[in-house]
Amino acid sequence: MTDIARLRADRIAALPFERVEPTAGIAQGTSHALRQLWRYRELQGLLVRRELKARYKDSSLGFIWSFIRPVMLLLIYYFAIGYFLQAQRSIPVFGIFVFAGLVLWGLYSDILVAGTMSILTNAGLIKKVSLPREIFPLASAGSAFVNFLIQCAVLIAAVLVFGQMTFTWDVLYVFPAVLLVMVYGTAFAILLSALNVYLRDIQYLVEVVMLMLFWTSPIVYSYRMVADVIGGTWLEAVYLANPITVAILSFQRAVWLPSPSVQSQLTEMGIDPSTMHPADLDVRILVLLIVGLLLLWVSHRTFLRLQGNFAQEI
Amino acid sequence: MASSGSPAVDAPLVVRLDGVSKHFVVRREKSLKERLVNFGRSRRHREDFTALTGVGFEIPVGQTVGLVGHNGSGKSTLLKVIGGIIAPDAGVVERRGRIAALLELGAGFHPDLTGRENVYLNGSVLGLSRNQIDEFFQSIVDFSEIGEFIDTQVKFYSSGMYVRLAFAVAVHVDPDVLLVDEVLAVGDEPFQRKCMDKIRQFQSEGRTIVIVSHSSDQIADVCDRVIVLNHGHVVFDGETGPGLEALAASFHTPPPGPAPEEQP
Repeated sequence: MTDIARLRADRIAALPFERVEPTAGIAQGTSHALRQLWRYRELQGLLVRRELKARYKDSSLGFIWSFIRPVMLLLIYYFAIGYFLQAQRSIPVFGIFVFAGLVLWGLYSDILVAGTMSILTNAGLIKKVSLPREIFPLASAGSAFVNFLIQCAVLIAAVLVFGQMTFTWDVLYVFPAVLLVMVYGTAFAILLSALNVYLRDIQYLVEVVMLMLFWTSPIVYSYRMVADVIGGTWLEAVYLANPITVAILSFQRAVWLPSPSVQSQLTEMGIDPSTMHPADLDVRILVLLIVGLLLLWVSHRTFLRLQGNFAQEI
Repeated sequence: MASSGSPAVDAPLVVRLDGVSKHFVVRREKSLKERLVNFGRSRRHREDFTALTGVGFEIPVGQTVGLVGHNGSGKSTLLKVIGGIIAPDAGVVERRGRIAALLELGAGFHPDLTGRENVYLNGSVLGLSRNQIDEFFQSIVDFSEIGEFIDTQVKFYSSGMYVRLAFAVAVHVDPDVLLVDEVLAVGDEPFQRKCMDKIRQFQSEGRTIVIVSHSSDQIADVCDRVIVLNHGHVVFDGETGPGLEALAASFHTPPPGPAPEEQP
């Protein structure tokens, strides 16, 4: 035996054996999985970059397309709905209002749609390499987040141009809004990506459900309009139980509501600006965050259960 | 050659398997519609397939083990179970040290990224850190003989260039245990010789290697030990020479136990 070989044998002799499939207690399994994820954080970054680079591969405008789509959406909603459908009459500075909702919604739907597909699109790696498989839905969430940041640049520009923003502490509502979307989006993406391996219909189901959820969230209409119709009933409770609704409401509270022109126009219309969101928004955010973290944990556990057979089922 | 990598008698173990079984349920329908239509008759639409039954063995440090058997004998499944890619239904798989599975060269290569980007991606997939890849980068490029094409998208590579680059990344991973599945069967003559030289170098460095191969010559050339699988059972475990005879015999004997169904 060479010296190198002897050193290696001595080093290995000192290592403890690792079980390939940890069947230990619930919490132990989770902490093991989290350590694994931490070990692969560099790969995670590379996968996010790969998704971003591959998205506009070979196009000469490249990343500019990430701006063109949201700007087009902004213009369509601003003119078609804001002016022709006269949403502007009940929602001042409608362009900013709708764009704020759209940007946050885009983050959620990107995470879910790409995340659900992530295990299948990375089938080549999953069948051949031993990796913590959660990194694939997580990388989808990561690249959706980077895209979201780009669109936020458009949003900030629009706020500065149309809204004459003044600084208030309400701008901090951005953080719980984004956090809520990330937590729920990631939780569902992890769960659905695993289920989609066994039942391929999930990916189509997600598209249909997302279409419905879009219209059950206050993106192109305001919460105020909902409250006028179903306020105080159990339907309103159901409506506000949707985490994305609460996330969008707090996002609007951060970037749209504080603007002086919004405030003054609302007062002119005889609407109290504080009724544009439910009074107990803070409590709702907190409760939904806790529920979301629990959901994230449950879907991760389910994922770990299901992943053992990914390599054959794909 | 075969005896050069033989481990000492008291060599520590790196891989330990006990009573490992794996059994696949192959469903013919994947969509909701098909499942609804066939609801209640779903028994008829599933196929049971036993890939491994009660497999148990130990591998000491520095040994080179050949897993052989006819098509569908479970050897690739066994390799994936050792590599942690497939979870066993029953039994215990334990291992230690850094494991690298070379089941496919260039797993995770993305056609739209350049060679350089793919080296980082693939290296990272195989468990190298960014700093390590920085350190090995020049040596990877030299080994692959890719030269200036390293900054070209890999979809423009010839298949030879693709495989050379992938192999160059793989051999720079510093594994204690290397799992190899048929990948040595690719490439031209000089490239194959390069692969075999690298395997010998790995042996002299005391790395443990598990190879799945259909080439008896290759197995006889590099392995210290052969494990013969037949329909998921270990039918022979020992010296290379008798092992290859047992392999030849297993082609003609009926499988032990109840006859399994046709493999999908």
